[in-house]
Amino acid sequence: MTELSVASLLFLSATLLAIGLFGILTRRNFILLLIAVEIGMNAAILNFVYFAGFSGTSHGLSGQAIAVVLVGLAATEVAVGLAIVLALNRQRGSINIGDATTLKL
Amino acid sequence: MFETDFIATFTPELLVLGAALLIFLLDVVGVRRLEAFGAVAVSGISLAFLAVVADLGFAPLAVLRTIPAGSVDLPLSASLTAVTSLGLVFQAIFLVSAFLVALASLSRPSGERGAAVFFGLVLMATLGMLLAAVANDLIFLLLSVEVTGIATYLLVGYTRKDARSLEAAMKFYIVGALSSTLSFFGASLLFGAYGGTGFLVLARQTAALGYPALALAGYALLIAGLGFKLTLVPFHAWAVDVYDGAPDDVSAFLAGGSKKIGIFAFFLVFVGPVLAAPALGRWCSLSRCSTLQLPATVELALGIIAILTMTVGNVLALMQPEMKRLLAYSSISQAGYMLIGVVVGTSAALTGTTLQVVAHVFMKAGAFLVVAAVVGLGVGPRVDDWKGLGRRRPYLMLAFALMLLSLAGVPLTVGFVSKFVLFSSAVQAEGWFVWLAVAGLLNSALSVFYYVRVLKSVYLDAPAPSAAADARLDRPIGVGRTAAIAIAVIAIVALGIDPQPILGGIQSATTHFLQIGA
Repeated sequence: MTELSVASLLFLSATLLAIGLFGILTRRNFILLLIAVEIGMNAAILNFVYFAGFSGTSHGLSGQAIAVVLVGLAATEVAVGLAIVLALNRQRGSINIGDATTLKL
Repeated sequence: MFETDFIATFTPELLVLGAALLIFLLDVVGVRRLEAFGAVAVSGISLAFLAVVADLGFAPLAVLRTIPAGSVDLPLSASLTAVTSLGLVFQAIFLVSAFLVALASLSRPSGERGAAVFFGLVLMATLGMLLAAVANDLIFLLLSVEVTGIATYLLVGYTRKDARSLEAAMKFYIVGALSSTLSFFGASLLFGAYGGTGFLVLARQTAALGYPALALAGYALLIAGLGFKLTLVPFHAWAVDVYDGAPDDVSAFLAGGSKKIGIFAFFLVFVGPVLAAPALGRWCSLSRCSTLQLPATVELALGIIAILTMTVGNVLALMQPEMKRLLAYSSISQAGYMLIGVVVGTSAALTGTTLQVVAHVFMKAGAFLVVAAVVGLGVGPRVDDWKGLGRRRPYLMLAFALMLLSLAGVPLTVGFVSKFVLFSSAVQAEGWFVWLAVAGLLNSALSVFYYVRVLKSVYLDAPAPSAAADARLDRPIGVGRTAAIAIAVIAIVALGIDPQPILGGIQSATTHFLQIGA
């Protein structure tokens, strides 16, 4: 098995973060936006996992523990997001965030 | 690890959590009265506040203290939590803001559905804030911030039949998710650079390794992520829509309470143990410390953000015709003042920022509670709709006027004291920090214009003919809300005339805070 370098892994997670941020900033559909949030969060989780692999044993374990906790956090966040989507859909029959323009100057 | 002593350190947190669980339990067994939930919330918060004040060593309550005096302000350890006196001060501040909001919310419509959810979520958000104040690990800190975040997203959308409330919740959620993604990615880079996320590890490794590029990128992302929470320019745009659309009591909680979690996070990450670390070998004098070691680029970036934040907030407030949006912009500019303490980083500057946070709780939460009361009387959202209210509701408007004057920094109010301490600390620090004080003073002068515009509308303009005949304007605003507003006003004036009771405590807390890394 060939060893992966830190740089290539960092490039992967930075790309994931960029995809996530781009999605959060440009997606008009709330569900797709939630997926973008997940992608961005996973970039951070991935970082913790492989930095844990590169460092020594004691820190390594804490990195993996943090990754598991963050998976739980990401799930909680999406659950709240979906609750907001449901309420939005019930109220105006659309989950397009471009339609939400009540609060403007 | 889990001895009773250890658990006893979390008495305030457990009281708040217990009250929240009790509220949800009461809801399940069929209690439907808003007053019952509110009473549990208010008493839980009050007990937690007493516990925190006792732990701070306030003499008459010292028998109640749950944390032995010797285990506060200890040198950094590897544990996830650490009790510092500055953390306790912030816990007290958070509890006061939650108390004011819970007390005022007792005056919400009595038959309101979901009252248990409202008070339960306020308590859960408060729990997150309390935990953040004892964090000794970056991940623990960010997770606590998330606990507050998730509770407040739901609170903003609490009146879910109201399109504005739901839209505000949606925007708040998107921004919050973006901010937590950036913060956690930043934390993961720091983990990669330094091999740990505890403040002890960060401090030791910074002393050993300095600031590798990976760590600087991590700090930059953390500034962005936490900047969203603290509504710093250019991460501020969401705040106006969210404060505007959220239910009024929730706006008071967001501006007065949960936003302050951001400033304490900045203290922990950018002023406290972490960046004081290079001084582990060569500790500096008490008057001028940690930020000497802060990388000049980070310091300069934060300074520019501080000046931008106060200026942009004030300029946009000048042109704002709606009351809640005006208060939201003024809240953004206040965040800029608070950041001065982080940049300057001396004990005096931290004292100034902490005082500013105390003042802001009373002024801003109080002002939003007055808005909630006035909107409840059927008055519209625009500043013009408030014309002539000064004669119609003299006491309520006197309270509002005092809050606005305090926000503007007029002497004999707590807002003057906090700005005085803050700006003079920047002047004492010399160098380019003086410009922070100059920018702050100019901005304070600028802010007077829009506060006076509101006061002119309230006191000098004649009311619209339709309002004069409107009997709704004479309705009482409710006991809870009256009490909350009265407490805020009394605090503003009393602390403005004599800040000594809290000033000494805050000064010693910030001095200890800067010595923790030593």
